[in-house]
Amino acid sequence: MTILDIRNVSIDFPTSRGVVHAVSDFSLSIPQGRRIGFIGESGSGKTTTALAAMRMLASPGYVSAGEIHLHSLGRTNVLEISDEEMRRVRLKKISYIPQGAMNSLNPVMRIENQIWDGIVAHEGAVEQAELQRRSRAVLASVGLPEHVGSLYPHELSGGMKQRVCIAIGVCLEPDLIIADEPTSALDVITQRQVMQTLRDVQGKIGAGLILIGHDMGLMAQSVDDLAVMRLGKLVEFGPVRQILENPQQAYTRELISSVPLVGGESFIQSTPEVLRGPPGPLLQFESVTKRYGALTALHPLSFTLDGEVPKIISVVGQSGSGKSTMGSLMLGFTPPTGGRVLFRGQDINRLSAAEQLGFRKDVQAVFQDPYACFNPFYRVDHALKFPFRRFGLAQSQAHVQSAMEEACHAVGLDPALVLRRYPHQLSGGQRQRLIVARALMLSPKLLIADEPVSMVDASLRATILKNIHDLKDKHGISILYITHDLATAYHVSDFVMVLYHGHVVEAGPPKDVIGAPQHPYTRLLIDSIPWPDVSRDWGAAEDGQRGLDALSDADVARPALRGTIPGFDLTVGA
Amino acid sequence: MADTSDLTARQIRRMKRFDNPWRNPKLMWGASLLLGIIALGLLGRLFWNLDLVFTGSAPLKLPPVGFENLRRQEGVWDHPLGTDGSGRDMLSLLIIGAPNSLMVGVLASLIGMSVGIFLGFSAGFLKGRVDDVIRVLSDVMITIPPLLILVVFQAAYGDVSLTMMAILIACFVWQSPTRLIRAQVLSMRESGYVQMARLSGASTLHIMFREMLPNLVPYLFGSFIANVTTSIVTAVGLEVLGLGPQRVPTLGRAIYEAINSGALIQNLWWWWGIPTILLAVMFIGLLLINLGLDEVSNPRLRKL
Repeated sequence: MTILDIRNVSIDFPTSRGVVHAVSDFSLSIPQGRRIGFIGESGSGKTTTALAAMRMLASPGYVSAGEIHLHSLGRTNVLEISDEEMRRVRLKKISYIPQGAMNSLNPVMRIENQIWDGIVAHEGAVEQAELQRRSRAVLASVGLPEHVGSLYPHELSGGMKQRVCIAIGVCLEPDLIIADEPTSALDVITQRQVMQTLRDVQGKIGAGLILIGHDMGLMAQSVDDLAVMRLGKLVEFGPVRQILENPQQAYTRELISSVPLVGGESFIQSTPEVLRGPPGPLLQFESVTKRYGALTALHPLSFTLDGEVPKIISVVGQSGSGKSTMGSLMLGFTPPTGGRVLFRGQDINRLSAAEQLGFRKDVQAVFQDPYACFNPFYRVDHALKFPFRRFGLAQSQAHVQSAMEEACHAVGLDPALVLRRYPHQLSGGQRQRLIVARALMLSPKLLIADEPVSMVDASLRATILKNIHDLKDKHGISILYITHDLATAYHVSDFVMVLYHGHVVEAGPPKDVIGAPQHPYTRLLIDSIPWPDVSRDWGAAEDGQRGLDALSDADVARPALRGTIPGFDLTVGA
Repeated sequence: MADTSDLTARQIRRMKRFDNPWRNPKLMWGASLLLGIIALGLLGRLFWNLDLVFTGSAPLKLPPVGFENLRRQEGVWDHPLGTDGSGRDMLSLLIIGAPNSLMVGVLASLIGMSVGIFLGFSAGFLKGRVDDVIRVLSDVMITIPPLLILVVFQAAYGDVSLTMMAILIACFVWQSPTRLIRAQVLSMRESGYVQMARLSGASTLHIMFREMLPNLVPYLFGSFIANVTTSIVTAVGLEVLGLGPQRVPTLGRAIYEAINSGALIQNLWWWWGIPTILLAVMFIGLLLINLGLDEVSNPRLRKL
């Protein structure tokens, strides 16, 4: 039985520069109880199509052609019913689980009140006891304990909030659930929990599911059929196994091959000619600790990174594991609570103004959010020019220009297309590459890359990581790569540290640590990676939590040190 | 990907308004009303005899052209807007008075904003003690009714100049820009581009004025205009009470004298009515500019 029938739908956005055809001639049927994935890059029209079925297109977009039929409404076209009828369809027949759960819950309302809102809006007055019973039941169905109902959103973790959003979405047992990248802001372990929860409830109430995303691995683990979209058109549609194993279109093959895997062929080609720096320790941690009040973000840690042969050191872990704190300590943005951070033998928190400038030039960073890194007031050139001049590298106006163009070419951008533009005119991928280009222009000795690719499309990740890897080989820059993505860490790094609650639990060359993990936490991280392989199952919803619960203090205190590499010495503990 | 063929010319024109948010009809109307008042002051000085502003330079209580007063005197073209009870020409009174009232408002607001920007940045940047002191001070000042203190002060002080009055009013309009800027600075200092600027070795002053301030411009403009309105209201309020500058013509002073000489009973409506209309035009102009700026800085308010 078909639940939702989208027939030849086209969606237009009129703008002053003409009509943008966001979706053209899109047809798809969603059978009951089946999970359909919409995959494509940002701007491919996947969210727009799903929102059209809920009649929630952002103004000024509108459906210019085609029909959308909802089975439970009979023969009527969803696009033609009145607003009041549509209101009754939303949540009751089609529910929508938004991307950022953090922003989707009302911060001043208890969770159960937010669930009751939907019930009351559709069923009128319902007795208090009945409401209580139903909100408890629906919270239980997404694996949340009863008391969560009486909490406020800020008291919950990201994964729990996302599960509350699922609970709200399924509380009226709709025919169809639309989930728009429900796990994009979560780390692998939480992602697995949330996705499996969503699959379980969806199976229980027998609803159809549209999962929107850009991660092929996540799709392989979560959906039955896959619709590949590009530039508003349906490129390929079929069962997920068929699409993964026998893709017909070049674009689909490209999407599949862009997913980095643990093991297998590397997408990075190493150049044997590595630019060498002067010998001697570049960065040293001397039993560095960081505490925020009662919380210890980083337990005592010492290491020495030698600068002669540039290396990429990866720091991996969940959100809250202390990996970003480590980056911030190295940049001198936060002073350590205990111990010292040394750069070329000097304590970075006791530098004179002149030394400070030199340190800034030598230690640069690439941050997670390419959207926030440019000042919206200036053209993007400002971000590249300003530090170049500030550090006294510029010889003349023409020299600045040629240096910028050269850096753009080095990261695969056409200077004519990106320079002289405002940040909002560029895509996330372009901006992130510009930030890499900025680092390149300054030729620092050390680059802190804090989740540089987690907010860009999966298909662009490999390219940006290649750019970063080139910084090491061709420009002799040592890199500290902070990430929660073990697959990329496996390929780009020379040494991996796994962080859990501020402790290093496993460390060593990536082939050992990620290829054959020994510590239970590392194993858990690796098991949580969604593989773009249908036959490799992801396990049940509670595996993740059970795995975390099983981690005893003894495990945490006993790190698995898996050997060393020349030029990097690590000591854990005081 | 875009093609213009299936849009009517009207639709395109409507949407073109989005390309340049500053071409906002509300903003333009508001600006032209205020420019009208400034033009009245400038052109009047060129084309009108301003000596008529002195007492006894014209017949008493003449009505505007086309009207009769209670003594059956008709308005004359020598005094197109009539004269007041002490023989001053209304037109020259307005030519001097209206820009004066606007000037007090703008000056008070400028001083208030400068103090606000300075304190707001200090509080947001230095945090700690400095922040506490500035925050408590501005919160306390917000709760004090300015008119009360100004009345007491001016009554004791007697005659003041326009600039002095602007400075006195400025003491009561720095709080809201301080709070606004402090809040914005606190959230902005954690933003990616400020971190990037720190990485680029930027000095604190550079971060404040080159990276943060440009992004605050829409807020500052809005706050500035709102402050001009408040300042003019306060100034006019004092003048209508008979306080403020005694020898300089202002709109509020004209209204005070009209009320004091029984203009309401004698049906000398032009004496108090025309200054009131000019004040209303000023406030409507400021309001429209404020609404327009709101739409410029918040695109969601713009309607297609």
